Amino acid sequence: MKILCDRQQLQEAFTVVGGIPPLKTPKPVIQSVLMDATADGVTLYATDLEISAKVPVDAVKVAEPGRTLLPARETSALLRELSDPTLTLSGQEGRTTIDAGTGSFVLVSNDPSQFPAEPEFKQGVEVEVPVREFLDMIRRTSFAAAREETRYAINGLLLELKDGGARLIGTDGRRLALCYTEHGGDAQNSRVVIPIRALQALSKAVSDESSEPLRISISSNQIRFALDGTELISQLLDNRFPEYEQVIPKAADSTIEIEREHLEKNLRRVAILSSGEVRMVRFKFEGSEVKLSAESSGIGRADLSMGIELNGPGGSISFNPDFLLDALKVSDRELVRIDMTDDSTPAKFTLGDSYTYILMPISGS
Amino acid sequence: MIRVLPPEVVNQIAAGEVVERPFSVVKELVENSLDAGATRVTVELRDGGRESIRISDDGGGFTPADLELAFVSHATSKLGSLADLDHIASLGFRGEALASIGSIARVTIRSRRADADEGFEITCEGGAIGPVRPCGCPPGTVIEVRDVFFNTPARRRFLRTARAERARIEDLLARLALARLDVDFTLVADDREVLRLPAGESLADRVGRAFGSALVEHLVEVEVRWDEYAARGLVGTPDAARRDATLSLLYVNGRFTKDRSTAMAVRQAYREFLMPGQQPVYFLELSLPPDEVDVNVHPTKSEVRFLQGRRACGILHEAVTSGLRQASAAPKRGGGAIAASPDKPRAQAGFPELPRDLFGAGGAQSLDPLPKSGAKLVDSSGPSAVRDAALAAQGGASTPSAAEPAAGHVAETGFDDGPFGGLQERRFLQVLDCYLVFETDDGMVVVDQHALHERVLYERFSKRHAARGAVPVQNLLVPEVLELAPSDKAWLLDQQEVLADEGLRIEDFGGRSIAIHGVPALLGRIAPRVLIETLLRADGEDEARPRAREIVAERFHSMACRAAIMSGDRLRETEIRELLAEARELDHPHNCPHGRPTVLTFSQEELERFFRRRVP
Ligand SMILES: Nc1ncnc2c1ncn2[C@@H]1O[C@H](COP(=O)(O)OP(=O)(O)OP(=O)(O)O)[C@@H](O)[C@H]1O
Ligand SMILES: [Mg+2]
Ligand SMILES: [Zn+2]
Repeated sequence: MKILCDRQQLQEAFTVVGGIPPLKTPKPVIQSVLMDATADGVTLYATDLEISAKVPVDAVKVAEPGRTLLPARETSALLRELSDPTLTLSGQEGRTTIDAGTGSFVLVSNDPSQFPAEPEFKQGVEVEVPVREFLDMIRRTSFAAAREETRYAINGLLLELKDGGARLIGTDGRRLALCYTEHGGDAQNSRVVIPIRALQALSKAVSDESSEPLRISISSNQIRFALDGTELISQLLDNRFPEYEQVIPKAADSTIEIEREHLEKNLRRVAILSSGEVRMVRFKFEGSEVKLSAESSGIGRADLSMGIELNGPGGSISFNPDFLLDALKVSDRELVRIDMTDDSTPAKFTLGDSYTYILMPISGS
Repeated sequence: MIRVLPPEVVNQIAAGEVVERPFSVVKELVENSLDAGATRVTVELRDGGRESIRISDDGGGFTPADLELAFVSHATSKLGSLADLDHIASLGFRGEALASIGSIARVTIRSRRADADEGFEITCEGGAIGPVRPCGCPPGTVIEVRDVFFNTPARRRFLRTARAERARIEDLLARLALARLDVDFTLVADDREVLRLPAGESLADRVGRAFGSALVEHLVEVEVRWDEYAARGLVGTPDAARRDATLSLLYVNGRFTKDRSTAMAVRQAYREFLMPGQQPVYFLELSLPPDEVDVNVHPTKSEVRFLQGRRACGILHEAVTSGLRQASAAPKRGGGAIAASPDKPRAQAGFPELPRDLFGAGGAQSLDPLPKSGAKLVDSSGPSAVRDAALAAQGGASTPSAAEPAAGHVAETGFDDGPFGGLQERRFLQVLDCYLVFETDDGMVVVDQHALHERVLYERFSKRHAARGAVPVQNLLVPEVLELAPSDKAWLLDQQEVLADEGLRIEDFGGRSIAIHGVPALLGRIAPRVLIETLLRADGEDEARPRAREIVAERFHSMACRAAIMSGDRLRETEIRELLAEARELDHPHNCPHGRPTVLTFSQEELERFFRRRVP
């Protein structure tokens, strides 16, 4: 194999797949990225056996078709450090040489025939969603997913296709984030849990500037995302996810409207003084204002109030400020709506036209 | 009157091998003497008991009719019916011991009841019971056991050396004696008196006599009462800790036990004071209504089962905690941190080649600026005397607190300054960015800055936690349902209220499941499942499990460790002064939460000895 390529193009392609090879694995061959040069062009392919990604490299000339394995870590470091505009890559038995004006680098490489083959994807439900919106949905829900292994799908987000809409939901049992978008495609319903890692890899792999929609295909145990020739396939997780609809309160005693940016800033300020043992900020909704307060004995206390629009009796409720800040900072709404009842009922935050956040209060204080 | 037990009672009694070695013979016979109301028990051994064991007592004695049945299995005067099994107050109850001993040795019992004019004797050799015959003897009972295992040579071969047997017997007698201060015990080995414990002495004196007076210096008297439950005795300070658990002694209603769950509870109380591998020293007696404890669990009767395990564990935990609090409040003597624990690694003090006598018990005593008897610490007039003496020794002006009335005030008044009192004003040197060396009026003090800071933070967190009324609960959106083993589930539901107090809300979810509705906000980010698993993790007996409280404590600990200044952080002078000011307020200033010492004291006299300016 021998190719001539634009360094920057290659580097960009490499960042798409470079994060996938595992740092530790009993199967060292997958710590490399497979470069496949054919008459049609060059693609990079990486897998950790659960998630795999394939990306085309632009601006290349293939002198000699063939395949070679590039050790992921060293190659991406090299591509970052080199400044030459073009590179020549040639693969012979057991090694790959990168020739740059600066010098030449020989990397020992495994036998490409040992590299796991691309998973076979059986066609299933297929939909199209606006890519930018979908990336926003990932950003707005993934933080709420469980980090530890709980009974909920491990580190996964629920993707639900229903009645022409796609919902993405993350929860760790204390809070739940839900985003919605409309999709074009099959009317068939589907409910799958996607590993967070796959969605994070997707966020890195596709550009939100693309004019094309993101194509999502779901088979019985895999999901595939495709855009502009880039393709990411992931295994699905065991389909155990809480019945999220039951968690979303249907009615509330009080409804509050509040400025998001203002709330976020004030919450950060107040939260400084809840840094002790328990992270907790108390909200007291009354008349046309909310009083935020936090206390940390031995450290101090904070009191702050801001204007709101309140409908209903209001009252006191406490939250872990981090949980709320996580969501406020990925919202782009000017006004946030809060539906609350009391300190043992979940509160509902409407943080966007299609972004809902449910947070369970802290009680007993 | 001795009766043969009805068979159903026999079957309920955990029978088994009673006699394994001379040691067990002595145990059974001394217990019998105590059951017979003896006020004086003498044990005489020949060849470590391998040749003969003779137990004499001044107890009630046998009637001739009793003697007839003495060697009959399941003959006991102590138990008649099943109901009685629930009310065992005597040490023996199986009617098994004499029969077992009679079957493996040549035994003679001579006994006279106090109201009888003459005594009677009976023999039993390898199970062959002889006739009852009159004989001359003083009131009480003498039982002589010769040639143990003469008819089972295999077992005889397994006997240990005379010295080993004797040491075990000595230990045993001391242990039995601690529960009965009203009884006079004597141990004679090959005509030499080895141990003499006069009746009526205090527990501290008896411990001193049996285990060495140096130990007593590091014991604190405790007593806790919860209605019908009482825990009292002596609790060793961390300085008394040992490598083995031979002096971790618990008595339940006068009976020595090796119960695991209660031992765990005691260990928990010591948890932050001992280093890994150290065993606490304590002599504690738990008294509770006899029907709330089942001793009939193990043939040697050293295991017990409690009706209210949590209560039993709780009161012991409380007793130890109060003792440790008391010990921390009391002044620490010069060199005290290392003085009387010669088995602690020397390297701790940084002087690997210290002459042995310097920190040996004898040395520590003569160096002691305080009145000699550490046991004073434990009697009610003690604390203020000790305190005054210590104040005087420090050359400190008599503060108002020194003039306060004595008893029981030591924790609130006098020495809340602890080992760090007055240090802020002292000159110091930071060594290796880790230790602070202070000059004092009487020598020097070395502080481990990390250990001390850890302790300061630990107590700060704990107090804040305790001060907060209701514990904040992070409720769960969706209750997390867990499937559990039936015993785990039962235990958790038993603990439901305690757990709720700590912020963990669980409910029965039917079948093998429980539902978690809320977790302590303090541990907000830990997965509920993990919390429960941690709770259930400790294996074994129910009561041995860490309580939710312990997990919270664990959490404080790790917070403290992470936040604590490290060894290697150079401190500014103001920071050091601040640290010391806080250290004065500590409840337990002597150890970090891992049990490492925070401070070592070297008195002038110790330094002089060390440099051979002073002959020991
Ligand atoms: N030193 C003694 N003085 C008076 N009576 C005794 C003495 N030793 C034993 N006895 C009587 O002999 C009986 C049998 O004693 P033995 O030790 O075999 O059984 P126990 O003490 O009742 O039960 P265990 O087998 O649990 O010790 C006792 O119940 C008691 O009445
Ligand atoms: Mg007995
Ligand atoms: Zn420590």
